Amino acid sequence: MNYEISLLTTMAIAVMFALSLNLITGFCGQISLGHAAFQGVGAYTAAMLGHAGWSFLATLPIAMLFAGALGVIVGLASLRVRADFLAITTMGVGFLFVGIVRQQEFFGGELGLSSMPDHGFGRFGFMLLALFMCVLTAALSIYIKRSWMGRVFNGIAEDEDTMRVLGIDVPRYKLAAFAIGTALAGLSGSFYAYHINFIGPDSFGFVESITVLSMVVFGGIGSVPGVIIAAALLAVLPAWFQVIGDYKLLVYGGLLFLMMRFSPGGMAGLAKRFIKPEAVAKKEQA
Amino acid sequence: MTSRKPQFRMLMAATAAVTFAASSAWADVKIGFNVPLTGFAAADGKSALNGAKLAVAKANAAGGVAGQKIELVVYDDQASPKEAVPSATKMVEKDEVVGAVSGSYSGSTRAAASVFQRAQVPYVVAYAIHPDITLAGDYMFRVSAMGEVQGRGGAKLVQNLGKKNVVLVTLKNDFGQALAAGFKEAAPKLGVNIINEYEYGMPDRQFGPLVSKIKADNPEVIYASGYFFTAGPLVSQIRAAGITVPIIGQEGYDSDKFIEIAGAASEGTLITTSLDRDSDAPATKAFLADYRKATNEGADMVAAASYTATKVLIEGLTKTGGKGGAALRDAIAAGTYDMPIGQLSFNDLHEVKKDIQVQVIKDKAFRRHSVISDPVLLAPPTKAK
Amino acid sequence: MLFIELIAQGLIQGSIYALVALGLTLVYGLLRILHVAHAGLFTLGGYIGVLVCNASGSLALGFLCAALVSGFGGVMMFRLAYQPLLTQPPYVALIASIGLFIASEEAFRIIFGAQGMSFLDPPLQQQIVMGAGLQFKLAELLVMLSTSVIIGVLAWLQSRTRVGIACQATVSDPQMAESFGISLRKVRDINFFVGSALAGFAGVWVALLNNLVEPTMGSVTSYKALAIIVLGGLGSVPGTLAAALLLGVIESFGTIYLGDILDRNAIAFAFLIAVLMVRPQGLFAKS
Repeated sequence: MNYEISLLTTMAIAVMFALSLNLITGFCGQISLGHAAFQGVGAYTAAMLGHAGWSFLATLPIAMLFAGALGVIVGLASLRVRADFLAITTMGVGFLFVGIVRQQEFFGGELGLSSMPDHGFGRFGFMLLALFMCVLTAALSIYIKRSWMGRVFNGIAEDEDTMRVLGIDVPRYKLAAFAIGTALAGLSGSFYAYHINFIGPDSFGFVESITVLSMVVFGGIGSVPGVIIAAALLAVLPAWFQVIGDYKLLVYGGLLFLMMRFSPGGMAGLAKRFIKPEAVAKKEQA
Repeated sequence: MTSRKPQFRMLMAATAAVTFAASSAWADVKIGFNVPLTGFAAADGKSALNGAKLAVAKANAAGGVAGQKIELVVYDDQASPKEAVPSATKMVEKDEVVGAVSGSYSGSTRAAASVFQRAQVPYVVAYAIHPDITLAGDYMFRVSAMGEVQGRGGAKLVQNLGKKNVVLVTLKNDFGQALAAGFKEAAPKLGVNIINEYEYGMPDRQFGPLVSKIKADNPEVIYASGYFFTAGPLVSQIRAAGITVPIIGQEGYDSDKFIEIAGAASEGTLITTSLDRDSDAPATKAFLADYRKATNEGADMVAAASYTATKVLIEGLTKTGGKGGAALRDAIAAGTYDMPIGQLSFNDLHEVKKDIQVQVIKDKAFRRHSVISDPVLLAPPTKAK
Repeated sequence: MLFIELIAQGLIQGSIYALVALGLTLVYGLLRILHVAHAGLFTLGGYIGVLVCNASGSLALGFLCAALVSGFGGVMMFRLAYQPLLTQPPYVALIASIGLFIASEEAFRIIFGAQGMSFLDPPLQQQIVMGAGLQFKLAELLVMLSTSVIIGVLAWLQSRTRVGIACQATVSDPQMAESFGISLRKVRDINFFVGSALAGFAGVWVALLNNLVEPTMGSVTSYKALAIIVLGGLGSVPGTLAAALLLGVIESFGTIYLGDILDRNAIAFAFLIAVLMVRPQGLFAKS
């Protein structure tokens, strides 16, 4: 059972992380190639506070706060640059985070931080807690999507200039998206730190940012159920892929490519094609 | 036709019975092995896997453990703690391994260590040198000298060479930094003066600015940590810039690939390591020959260490008759081993006490240079610490 | 003296970045796609160069084959991956590119082995002494020379020949260009071919400088190349060259003097972010 519990916890954390990016990139159309840095901020905060004696639950709001604060700063940066540059700027933020963390002994340097104190929930309890947070994140995502804020996000994603003309304070909404999305990433980071029990500069690098972005895109950018399924699957794929062994990254890269090539709407796009083919056909004609 | 059927069925049943009986007599003893087969460390992973497989093959050829075959259950952890934890959990829960060997780097090994300690499965670490690994608990064992110990050996080597002024070039990871820490600790006691220290990252291959700065520092010796894919370019570029002073490397250089990459520049490079190619020790000679026969390649430190770690675990299993748990832990801890990387015994922290081999590259091969044997200087940390 | 050496090292590194970034900027200028898989062509060039040189003994042949194979590889990538996705939002091509890149790195590892490949007898390793204690490998001098020549030629071609002007027109206004009879497909093919061939060419140079070709050698270079095209102003050949050389030099000094605060790759991005905050359109963009 322990193996399954561990797997489910990993899935819950990945889903939380992917949903948090979905808010920024999926709902609001801001491409972020450095999202792992925010998970990292949450993880390091939780780890360091934990080592200082804080209880696990107490570290969660602080982790979210720090991650969200950094998110706002990066969001402010995003306001200045064009969409195309945003991707690269966020990539730069990711590299900066890793670069700074690895140089400072304060953050554990190259060796990272390990041996988190016992969170006190036991394996099963921790898994339940993670799943609970995951469900909350999903619920929040759906709520936002259906709310006025979600509609503004969608508008910004589709056509930013028109939204400005309509009098919407686009910068404020973009910042909101970044703040919420990065805070949630920080939340997933705290769980990550206690689950894996080891975090280092390489835990939150460019590869991780790409991985979570591909989860979002694979699931169907903006689609909450799509992203949940994609994240859950892709998170545990390496474990299942042990059979393919040597070829697993090759298959992973190939899958990503094929999915984009043939169904850019991700799995949600595929699903729509099967469930409502007429609606899709109509949309393609329009 | 109908008359043949019952006899046919009986034959099938008999065959099945025999097969089942045979397979239960050959129920495997499972050893877990986590190793980076993909990802940035894949090159070392390949060597490590070869070393471990060789140890298992030899043991099985000699009859296995208590009449049972040994099975090496391999998991690719991509040298990533994220992958190592579920792999370790699977090894313990699903595969029910009686013991495990780490053929991987420190990050992933550290993460896996806590899983094995909690499950009370002995974990023998081949070449990951992070101090925290053995601190995870008494089911952990390490067959290689920790980074700090090797670093101290490096400083002693500088003293033995009669040199004083050193420039340190340190790879920015647990391995490089542990080596540097040990070197820096021992240097003042041995009259070695560190002029400057420079760090570089794992992906770096172009060291132009670094080399220029070293030239300006004008040291008598360069102590540079790295793996063959960083050390090869580094040494080549150092020599290309006209710097002729001795370069001291460590286990990370210990691979024929280093010589291949650095070419002529590798001549004269010294390394502190655990594998003596010129060794007269029968265990070492046998290993080198067997490895070449099995893989058509020369063995490197990673292969030798993984072979050793696996063999240590197997010898422990032989003593306990294939059982794991506390009995296996105690059997391993109490043993003395004659291995390709030297005569080993464990202290109370399950670190090894052994000499350091110094090899030099002559005529494009690793040859013996000297041995550093200073039990006080090279003493690994103990539990009391 | 150290100062001059550091600058020289920066220019050498910058030349490599320039060769790689050029292909990226040509593609981006044309298609607004972040062609991450470009790094795979860089690595491919390195492998082909070493293989051919080891097999035939001729470095020139190695260079030629590397450039050709990478060039055609690039065109194939365009036809198979990007062309069908032109109507999709940009992140689709980006993720597809990333998938291609990951797959290519793995393919190299599986086909050529994880340990990497080296020259049997590395050419161009002779030391050239230049007085004042300056000493370079022939390869280092030649990479700087060849980069300047190639880029100079390209810039000239772009502004003086019909093909070049057609390319520029296609970047500025594809529909207008098409109405003038310019074949968009042909222009795009040419751009991909040239850019990818340059990347392959750069791959061989790196193989010469390090004597090591690895499956993952493209990653770090490609990330920095992305930063460079932003700095240099998209689609601008001279801008990219200037940004690449500048980054090389800044990295060179940064690794020595900022090494305690930032890791080497972070320096490039710190520089990028700093510039973008002050000049959001990039250093050399013709706004």
